[in-house]
Amino acid sequence: MSLALEERPSVLESGGNGGGPARRAIYLWAWRLFRREWRQQVLVLALVALAVAATVVGVAFGYNAAHSADSTFGAANSLMTFDGSGRADVTAARQAFGTIEEIAHTSIAIPGSLDKVDVRAQDPNGKFGHPMLRLVTGRYPTGAGEIALTRAAATSFNVQVGGRLVDNGHARTVVGLVENPFDLNDNFALVAPGQITSPTQVTILFNASPQKVMDFRPTGNATGIGTRGALNQTAAAAAILAVETISLLFVGLVSAAGFAVMAQRRLRALGMLGALGATDRHVRLAMVANGVVAGVVGSVIGAVVGLMSWIVLAPQIEKLAKHRIDVFHLPWWAIGMAVALAVLTAVAAAWWPARSAARASIVTALSGRPAPPKPAHRFAGAGGVMLLAGFACLAFADRTKPNAYLIIAGTVTTTFGMLFLGPLFIRAIAVVGRRAPIALRLALRDLARYQARSAAALGAISLALAIAATVAVSAAALAAPRSTANLPTNEILVYLDNSNNAVFVEGAAGVPVRTAAQTQAVQTKVGALAATLHAVAIPLTQAVNPASGTFSLDQSGPRGSGLSIRHKGPASASSSAGGIDVKVPVQLARVTTIHRGGHTGIELTGTVPLYIATPALLRHYGINTTDINANTDIVTARTDTKGLVVTAPRGGPAAPRGPYEWQPTIQLAKLPTYTSDPGTLLTTHALRAFGLKPISAGWLIQTPHPLTASQINTAQRAASGAGIAIATHRGEASYAKLRNGATAIGILVALGILAMTVGLIRSETANDLRTLAATGATSTTRRTLTGATAGALALLGALLGTGGAYLALIAWHRSDLHPLTHVPIANLVVIIVGLPLIAVTAGWLLAGREPSTIAHQPLD
Amino acid sequence: MSALELRGVSKVYGDGPTEVHALRNVDLSVEAGMLVAVMGPSGSGKSTLLTIAGSLEVPTSGEVLVDGVPVANMSRNDRARLRRRSIGYVFQDFNLLAGLTSVENVALPLELDGVTAKKARVAGMHALEELGIGDRASHFPDELSGGERQRVAIARAVVGDRHLLLADEPSGALDSVNAEAVIRLVRAACQRGVAGVIVTHDAQLASWADRVVFLRDGRIVDQTMPPPGPESLLSPGATS
Amino acid sequence: MSVRHALLALLSEGPKYGLQLRQEFEARTGEVWPLNVGQVYTTLRRLERDGLVESDDDGTEEGPQRGFHITPEGEAELATWLRTPPDMTSPPRDELVIKVLVALALPGVDVRDVVQVHRRYVVELMQQWTRLKEDAPEHDVGFLLVVDAELFRLDSVIRWLDAADGRLARLAADAKDAPEPAPAPSLSPRLRRRVGMRR
Repeated sequence: MSLALEERPSVLESGGNGGGPARRAIYLWAWRLFRREWRQQVLVLALVALAVAATVVGVAFGYNAAHSADSTFGAANSLMTFDGSGRADVTAARQAFGTIEEIAHTSIAIPGSLDKVDVRAQDPNGKFGHPMLRLVTGRYPTGAGEIALTRAAATSFNVQVGGRLVDNGHARTVVGLVENPFDLNDNFALVAPGQITSPTQVTILFNASPQKVMDFRPTGNATGIGTRGALNQTAAAAAILAVETISLLFVGLVSAAGFAVMAQRRLRALGMLGALGATDRHVRLAMVANGVVAGVVGSVIGAVVGLMSWIVLAPQIEKLAKHRIDVFHLPWWAIGMAVALAVLTAVAAAWWPARSAARASIVTALSGRPAPPKPAHRFAGAGGVMLLAGFACLAFADRTKPNAYLIIAGTVTTTFGMLFLGPLFIRAIAVVGRRAPIALRLALRDLARYQARSAAALGAISLALAIAATVAVSAAALAAPRSTANLPTNEILVYLDNSNNAVFVEGAAGVPVRTAAQTQAVQTKVGALAATLHAVAIPLTQAVNPASGTFSLDQSGPRGSGLSIRHKGPASASSSAGGIDVKVPVQLARVTTIHRGGHTGIELTGTVPLYIATPALLRHYGINTTDINANTDIVTARTDTKGLVVTAPRGGPAAPRGPYEWQPTIQLAKLPTYTSDPGTLLTTHALRAFGLKPISAGWLIQTPHPLTASQINTAQRAASGAGIAIATHRGEASYAKLRNGATAIGILVALGILAMTVGLIRSETANDLRTLAATGATSTTRRTLTGATAGALALLGALLGTGGAYLALIAWHRSDLHPLTHVPIANLVVIIVGLPLIAVTAGWLLAGREPSTIAHQPLD
Repeated sequence: MSALELRGVSKVYGDGPTEVHALRNVDLSVEAGMLVAVMGPSGSGKSTLLTIAGSLEVPTSGEVLVDGVPVANMSRNDRARLRRRSIGYVFQDFNLLAGLTSVENVALPLELDGVTAKKARVAGMHALEELGIGDRASHFPDELSGGERQRVAIARAVVGDRHLLLADEPSGALDSVNAEAVIRLVRAACQRGVAGVIVTHDAQLASWADRVVFLRDGRIVDQTMPPPGPESLLSPGATS
Repeated sequence: MSVRHALLALLSEGPKYGLQLRQEFEARTGEVWPLNVGQVYTTLRRLERDGLVESDDDGTEEGPQRGFHITPEGEAELATWLRTPPDMTSPPRDELVIKVLVALALPGVDVRDVVQVHRRYVVELMQQWTRLKEDAPEHDVGFLLVVDAELFRLDSVIRWLDAADGRLARLAADAKDAPEPAPAPSLSPRLRRRVGMRR
């Protein structure tokens, strides 16, 4: 019997804990228990897997949905565009930057249309440009008589692979279909390098430092200089971070709920372990090992399911994102991190109940009595503080310039605050149920008695429903009129700008300076566009202060992000070397003087663009010129213009910074309230009084019927060929879908958590049920017990979730609460009333059968 | 030196009006090779006495010495080690860890103490065979009968170098034949040098002990004298 | 214990000599009940007289060589006896009960101490019986059964003592709670009569 004695390592004499063999034994036990009880953990696993899968899909989406600058830069970090006469600049650039890749452009007119298709002479294997080309079918053009087209271009020319394309007497064979995988909207034709002898435009791609790029002075007309920015990646990273945080919170809460129940079930076994001489660390290890197993199994399943879903969803997302998605082009580090963190979170969630189990007296544990719940008010204090801190974070996160870290910190703190407040509400509901019939009273009292597990379950349910409520409320707020840029369904607003990202100078959208001839050319195109839509285009003009001068923008290509602005002084020259010239129109704004770091400056807030009240526009809005008072400067329907002044930027080296300001006389009129609509008008009186000059800014096209998707598509294509941008109504139907989808998913997830916790709680109270049955309780009592447990948790979760979501959104929208007045009543009713009803009904129905575990102690 | 010695041990649960004196100034000494039974009605403090003796609980006052070493000064970890190395428990019903086979259950205290799994298994098998249930070694607890479970529990309580066996109604859930088999095994362990303490309210079980201590309201009120030889029973007319 | 029926039972296995009968009797009862030779032959003579056994020869010779065998009447008698329950309807005379009752009536005597004295004595007795059982070979079923019978009997005494102790403890607790003195416990006339029925 003493043969094992000599085997004990002597190093353990000083109070060790058994080392490897002990851990091995504990792991073995935990693994066997997991294998025996995996059915009880299926829901925990499923929910962890769900969260991880959602994370993987979300991360993949966030990573791939963002538009990549690869579409214009390829593998390069800089580009320059010269007009056709810029050969000397190309040579100079090659000397300055070393290796460059040259892409020559020309265009072919689409027969019977004003539109032209860009033709590129580009090497498909170019050092920098190769990512911008992908062969769809056929082959790349090689010789003089060959050309490849994008699918849209082929449709426009009505040719197919193998067909012939004739342009100006020059016939080419279509040898393949190509696309720009990073921009499926990019519509072009491809010829072999060197096949464009007299290009209209030359783009060069190269790698160089931004400083070198800025130092390079082209001799001719450079229409664009750009360096690749890092904006998209940052936004994607923030989105990924946010998705992972929320998912981890969810994993943590769900596992905490599961493991709290599990620890209670295993209390006697853990006590036995302690009696056998296991140290506290061993006891913790036993539970934590289970957390590891559950976390690893759940996360791996989740990752696999997530990846598979992503592979299935990717083609849909390609259509949305308008660029090709390589399904395996994924932020593997982020996915790996999500899986690893999910495991860690599950472990942490198992560690907490393990800690209390290890701390509990062995004698109490052996008898299976739960530790007396800690007083709820202690948690409530901490919860209240955390809740306030979370709201503060969200309020300071500032909706206009979102700070991702503050948002995440705020979300996490708010969630924990809610979690800590849970026990208080559970107590409260037990007090409320004190006079209820016995079964209901028992159910509510048990929730309060086994506070640890019910609070964690409540936290998880609240979080799921809070996410659902947040999405529903936000979607409702987004869909609310006036809250965002929006137009009626039968209007197209045409901007004189070829960039989707409007160029902002001192808070106002800059209006490109065009010569009369250029403006006329665009006018013709817009007129043609309007004609196809059976509508007329009403010209829109804005006003500029002649003294403000022109700003020159070094713009980095069509969708570039690197941008530098140079002031060129009042004497405006039209497009000169190195960029686009814009004028900054006057606008309504609140001007505040700010002091920052010893400097004094001004800040413009609440800016409203101003359009000149031309007779045509007034007629369009049905306003008589005679109705406008002679001294009125501004006509608007807005009632929130108090304190706003008409401002124009001053700028320039000679003039001090800061705007010119005029105090306008404002008259209210029945004008549209859509925010993108030119609804705030500057009268001709003001034009004269302030000494402003009109500048052509765009057109408003109103069609007799709401625009169809294909019409919008046509308009967009027309616009992209004409150096203009259009804006149309953004529908709210998709928001309704989003709202209802989020509500449904939130409810499903909440029901899953309920099933998990209520199921676990019920299997554990099998003894109580047996006693109840012995004292003559019918299955109705059993049904009531289960239904009441599920219903109470669901109701509390729904109230806490929606309440928390609303408070958080109020903190977030504190500067403008208006959007929140649009309450998605149907969704909230479904969450607050529907979910508890479903929970009660499901509990009632499922509790009819006598549980099979009723005769046995779970662990004997 | 006694294997177990309790000196003036008292235990009070709760405080104020809910105060319960489970033990009052209990002295008890158990020598190696001795089996001591603690008898008393429910609520007399028998189980508390056992948990305090086994260092599962700390007495309110008084001293517990295991192998002459006071337990009071030990850290939680040291007490856990003491339980691993010196003390074996047998409880009335819940004894074995589900999920571990008989031999794994028996080997567990050794493994917790750092003995390699293989050697612990050998020792566990040895202990099971000594108790005549070697053929049940790879069965899980729920595949064993009540008597077999208690035998596995005893094997676990004496495996390795354990020399203090504490049993709380070890045969409470068993029929008399199995109960006798179990107590015989405890008795046999004691004859090999283990000091045993069983608490019970069953006189038949207690009569297997070398000494029976009577507990009432947390106090030791009496104990049996060392029994005279059994021959006295066989004189004619000793019984009716 | 009826020696008469024990001898009949032994003879039902087959013809046996007188001496052999005595040895087997003692062996089967675990030597707990010693039997002298005279007792055996007196009983055998009575059995022969009642026609329940018959001797092998003319019946003149007394001694260990004389063999006996059971008659059909004897077997019938044995079968009837085995199935006839012993008389357990009236309480046996029990000195212990009397002592505790007397102690209860006497002022200045702690009944629970009296109970404990008896309990200890009975447990010690049981310890001795258990020791016997422990040392007995496992195949000696008769002896083990006899010892078990003795242990269960003593156990029942302990249980009665425990129950009495419990009752007295509760009585004491009640008396502490209720200030007026509890009426002196006494036997009801009916029970007194039955306890008095000695056998």
